[in-house]
Amino acid sequence: MTVGSQVKGCYASIKSIEASLALLANKTQHQESQQAFQEAKQLISEIKDDLQKHLIHLTREEPQYE
Amino acid sequence: MPDWITVVIKSISLLVILFFMTKLLGTKHMSKMNVFEYISGIVLGGIVAIHTIDPDKNISYAIIAMVIWFVIPFSFEKISLKSKSFRDFTQGKSTVFIQDGKIMEENLKKAGYSTDDLLEKLRDRDIFLASDVEFAVLEPNGSLNVLPKKENRPLTAKDLGIKVAPEKQPQTVIMDGKVIHESLANLNLNLNWLETELEKLNVSLENVFLGQADTNGNLYVDLYDDKIVVPQPAENEMLLATMKKCQADLELFMLATDNDQTKAMYKRNSQKLQKAIDLVEPFLQ
Repeated sequence: MTVGSQVKGCYASIKSIEASLALLANKTQHQESQQAFQEAKQLISEIKDDLQKHLIHLTREEPQYE
Repeated sequence: MPDWITVVIKSISLLVILFFMTKLLGTKHMSKMNVFEYISGIVLGGIVAIHTIDPDKNISYAIIAMVIWFVIPFSFEKISLKSKSFRDFTQGKSTVFIQDGKIMEENLKKAGYSTDDLLEKLRDRDIFLASDVEFAVLEPNGSLNVLPKKENRPLTAKDLGIKVAPEKQPQTVIMDGKVIHESLANLNLNLNWLETELEKLNVSLENVFLGQADTNGNLYVDLYDDKIVVPQPAENEMLLATMKKCQADLELFMLATDNDQTKAMYKRNSQKLQKAIDLVEPFLQ
C-alpha cells in the first residue's frame, strides 16, 4: 500500500467517525454528553479538512501515489 | 335471622372496616414498624377475629374497640410527624456508639449492649476491627449504622478523579413480545427505530421476551429461544477503537514524512484527535 492510499484510508475512517459522533450527539438524552460529542465532532471535522487538503496536494505533487 | 347469616354479615362488614383502617394506618414495611404500631395492628386483627365467629356478640362493641385502637395509633403517627420531641418520646432516639473512632462506653451501657454485641453488629457490616470505624450509631429500630474511616471506604470514581458519564435509568421497551409505547416515548424513540434495531439483530418482535434500551439508544434483548445468540451492542467501543486507530495512523504518517510542514500538520491533527478521544471516552464506555 502506498502512502497516498494509506492517507486515503485514514481520511475515510475520520469521515466515518465524524458521522458516528453526529449520530450519537443526536441520539443522546444528556446535555453534557451531547456537548462533548459535538465538540469532538468539531475537532474531527477540522482534522478532516486538513487531511483533505493534504490529499489533494499528494495526488497533484506525486501522481505515482495514485 | 339464622346464625350463619349473622356471621357472614359481620365478617364482611368488619373485613371492610379493617381493610380501610390498615390502609389509613400507612404502608410502613413490617420491619420498620415500632413495637406500638406492631401491637395495635395485632389487636385490630384480634378484635375482628373474635367478633366474626361469635354470632352472640354485639357488633357495635367490635366497632367501638376498633375505632379506639385505630384512632390512637393514627393520631400518634400524625403528631410524631409534626413534633420532634414527641417523636423522640414515642419512637426513641438514636444512640451514638462510636464517635471520632472512639467507643462511647457510657452509651453502650445505657442501651444495654455488651462489647460482644457491638463487635457482632460490626461484623455484620464486614468490619472486624473496631478501630476501622469513624462513626457508628444505633438506630431506634435496633440496627447499627456504621461510617468506616475514609481509607476503609470503598473506592469511588470521585476518589480516583475519573469522569463518568451521567446515566439515567434504562427503559423496558418490549415485554413478552409486545411493544411498550410509553417507555419508547420517554426515550424520544419511535416504533420505526425499534424495528430497525431488531432488524439489525435479525430477530422478530414476537420472539423477544424482554427488550431494554439505554439513554444512548442501545437495545439489549432477551429472546424466548435461548439457543439464538444475540450480539451485544458494541457500536460505542467500535467508534472509540476507530478513533484510536486513526490517531496512531496520523502519528505513523508524521514519522514517515520528511517534509517539515507536513510533519507539523500531522502532529497538530494527531493532538487534536487525542483531545477528541479524551473528550468522548467517558461517554462511550
